[in-house]
Amino acid sequence: MRFKFSLIALSLEVVMIVSFALFVEYETSQNGSQKSASQQNASQQNAAAQQNASQQGNASSPAKEDQFFQLYPLFQHVHVMIFVGFGFLMTFLKKYGFSGVGFNLFLAALGLQWGTIVQGLLHSHGLKFPFRIKNMINADFSTATVLISFGAVLGKTSPIQMIIMTILEIAVFAGNEHLVTEIFKASDTGASMTIHAFGAYFGLAVAGVLYRSGLKHGHPNEESVYHSDLFAMIGTLFLWMFWPSFNSAIAQPENNQYRAIVNTYMSLAACVITAYALSSLVERRGRLDMVHIQNATLAGGVAVGTCADMEIPLYFAMTIGSIAGIISVLGYKFLSPLLAHKLMIHDTCGVHNLHGLPGVFGGLASIVAISWGKSTVSTMAMQATALGSSIGSAIVGGLVTGLILKLPVWNQPPDEYCFDDSVSWKVPKYRELDNYFFQHVTHNHVEHEV
Amino acid sequence: MGSKYPRSLRCCLPLWAFGLQVTFILLFYFLIGQDPIQADHKFMAIYQVIQDLTLVAALGFGFLSSSFRRHGWSSVAFSFFMLALGVQGTILLDYFLNWVLDWNMIKNPFSPFLSIQRATISTLPLLISAGAVLGKVNLVQLAVMVLVEAMTFGAIRVADKKVFRIEDHIIMMYGHVFGAYFGLTVAWWLSKSLPRRRHENAQTEKVQMTTSSSLFAMLGTLFLWIFWPSINSALLEGTKKKNAVFNTYYALAVSTVTATSMSALSHPKGKINMVHIHNAVLAGGVAVGAPSCLISSPWIAMVLGLTAGLISIWGAKCPQVCLSDLLLNPSGIHYTFGLPGLLGALTYYCLHIIAESRPSNLWIVTQTITDVGALSFAMAMGMVTGLLTGCLLSVKVWRAPHAVKYFDDQAFWEFPHLAVEF
Repeated sequence: MRFKFSLIALSLEVVMIVSFALFVEYETSQNGSQKSASQQNASQQNAAAQQNASQQGNASSPAKEDQFFQLYPLFQHVHVMIFVGFGFLMTFLKKYGFSGVGFNLFLAALGLQWGTIVQGLLHSHGLKFPFRIKNMINADFSTATVLISFGAVLGKTSPIQMIIMTILEIAVFAGNEHLVTEIFKASDTGASMTIHAFGAYFGLAVAGVLYRSGLKHGHPNEESVYHSDLFAMIGTLFLWMFWPSFNSAIAQPENNQYRAIVNTYMSLAACVITAYALSSLVERRGRLDMVHIQNATLAGGVAVGTCADMEIPLYFAMTIGSIAGIISVLGYKFLSPLLAHKLMIHDTCGVHNLHGLPGVFGGLASIVAISWGKSTVSTMAMQATALGSSIGSAIVGGLVTGLILKLPVWNQPPDEYCFDDSVSWKVPKYRELDNYFFQHVTHNHVEHEV
Repeated sequence: MGSKYPRSLRCCLPLWAFGLQVTFILLFYFLIGQDPIQADHKFMAIYQVIQDLTLVAALGFGFLSSSFRRHGWSSVAFSFFMLALGVQGTILLDYFLNWVLDWNMIKNPFSPFLSIQRATISTLPLLISAGAVLGKVNLVQLAVMVLVEAMTFGAIRVADKKVFRIEDHIIMMYGHVFGAYFGLTVAWWLSKSLPRRRHENAQTEKVQMTTSSSLFAMLGTLFLWIFWPSINSALLEGTKKKNAVFNTYYALAVSTVTATSMSALSHPKGKINMVHIHNAVLAGGVAVGAPSCLISSPWIAMVLGLTAGLISIWGAKCPQVCLSDLLLNPSGIHYTFGLPGLLGALTYYCLHIIAESRPSNLWIVTQTITDVGALSFAMAMGMVTGLLTGCLLSVKVWRAPHAVKYFDDQAFWEFPHLAVEF
């Protein structure tokens, strides 16, 4: 792994830099005014309007500058979600915390560069494109799909395999996203379909291809301990706090963005209550399961994403959140074992229950909302087509990627070394207090002074 | 030597801290006055920057230095204390310096938001220096170091601005280099005055990590990583601010990929070292800080991030070969803030020269003197006052912890009963 991983990563980095040199430029006053000129030509019906537009050429500059400062705080929230939220959410395994948060950072840093290039080229049809704040937000969005899929294969793959999955998945994601937004013209503001459902089913497809029969009866390392669950809760809390920004970052300013924030906020709050209730309900002695709390409490944010900025009443958003919480907990309790034993798809983080099903539910909810006339920017047929396209391209892309990753040249770890940091990381000599905690439970003294 | 038990700070710390705070209150009363504060226009934009800076300082630097298994509490809590002390001290210092230097002009109304913003960003070098000395000093010594360093950096900022005519943004970026070498010099002096064998034994046993303390340090690293674009653009406006954010964003991404790859490459079995990840992924943001508003294409920032990542990992591996006392520093601030900061300063100088169309030789010489002079002045002041501060902190009156108590929370904190590792 020493030379292969390093050379692949550094080579990709050089390719990224060259691609940026060729295709990416910063927005300057010149190409800003060029766009204004094209807009002037488009409005030939009103000559006076043309004159006013040309006279106010300077006025458009503050407006564009203002967009950056309006969106930059939202971008920061999305950034925290990608790196701290997803990163720490994956530290729940007792021996895989370093890999969870460390590879999360690595894959996201690599993915956002590649996402900028691929999405920019698609939107500009292969020409050089100016870089704006929205490119940054969309780049973070593209890495979110990879991190969701990373959760499905967590602990069972090598870093090289994850690099390849990142490159392929973001390319497929950019294609599907372009299809959904430009061809179908569907509405998916919070990306329930294009990010969450896509990322989940892509990851499940890869996990299905890479299934290991040796893990059928579980693995001693695939469990959490007290402190690793607490670390994972850090990720959950940051995701939960900033999800309103995630769902509203690319919404239209003013009313749409406002609705997206409020709807997501209420959906998340409702989801927590039902997730706790269901977690207690499905356990024989009524106790709570930390896995449910870490994941199902976020399902409301996923599910409300597609119709977050539609003119739905608040109780509709809260209902979406509540149902998503129920779906997610039931999925963790009953569906994940079913997937593992019957369909031979091992889903380490349960991304099917947190991102897949709530994402599909979100797409369906948007169809219901449109049938009630809550949005006019899309139609039921286009929303259904977008949902089908996202799931379909995810599954096909995931299967192809899985077959590529199955080649025996990517240093895949053997079964006994799954879910273990020491394969890829220099691990500290000292582990946690848990081993000592119970041995010393009867002692009330501190260590003697040296 | 006397007793090996930790020296009690019971009289020293409360007296010192309480006295400082009372002094600050009195100085605010007499210097800044008693009028109620009026709201500036556009205060919400400044407030956002203040929040980002505070988050970086308290959460980022605090947790970044909490990676040692027996020193987590002190790292986070002492950083918090230093931040609170540094911001108050710097606000007073800035007001005093402006008042002294512009005594003949009409007194400017006090703008609390701008003052807090500048004070918070001026405190970052203090927290960088703390990374080098945390574990070897107690809270009273840290308070003294904060005051000395804040005054020194204040003097440097005035000199760079008045004499070398450097912009505020560049001065703040040079603060990373100043803070790094100030801290390294203090740490070097503190370790110099100890018996070598005992010192090394103390470090070897306690400069260890557990997985949870490493993950806490990773939390700090991630917050620094996420909000570094806000640091690099805090004092810029308009298009410069946008370009600074974009450049920092990509420089950090590239340095992360590069640092992770080089860390794996530098290990005989290809394993990644979490200590490298804690620090080296930030190198791109540090390097791009000074030239961030001059870079007009993202690929330049990415090349800078790549170079900074390489330098950082090389700097992390080099001490095992060079065996220099100065570089035997567990916190890695030399290769996280020192070397990348120098790289950024060099890049700023080159871009500054290139940006001028058809520069005259005289102009080039002038720019060389001002740019290199300002940076050299900051570094020299960092090392000289670091040495003086090291001497000052070695005085017995501060009740310094014994060498065997280095990197140990037990000297300062009351522990729960079941803290069995202590």
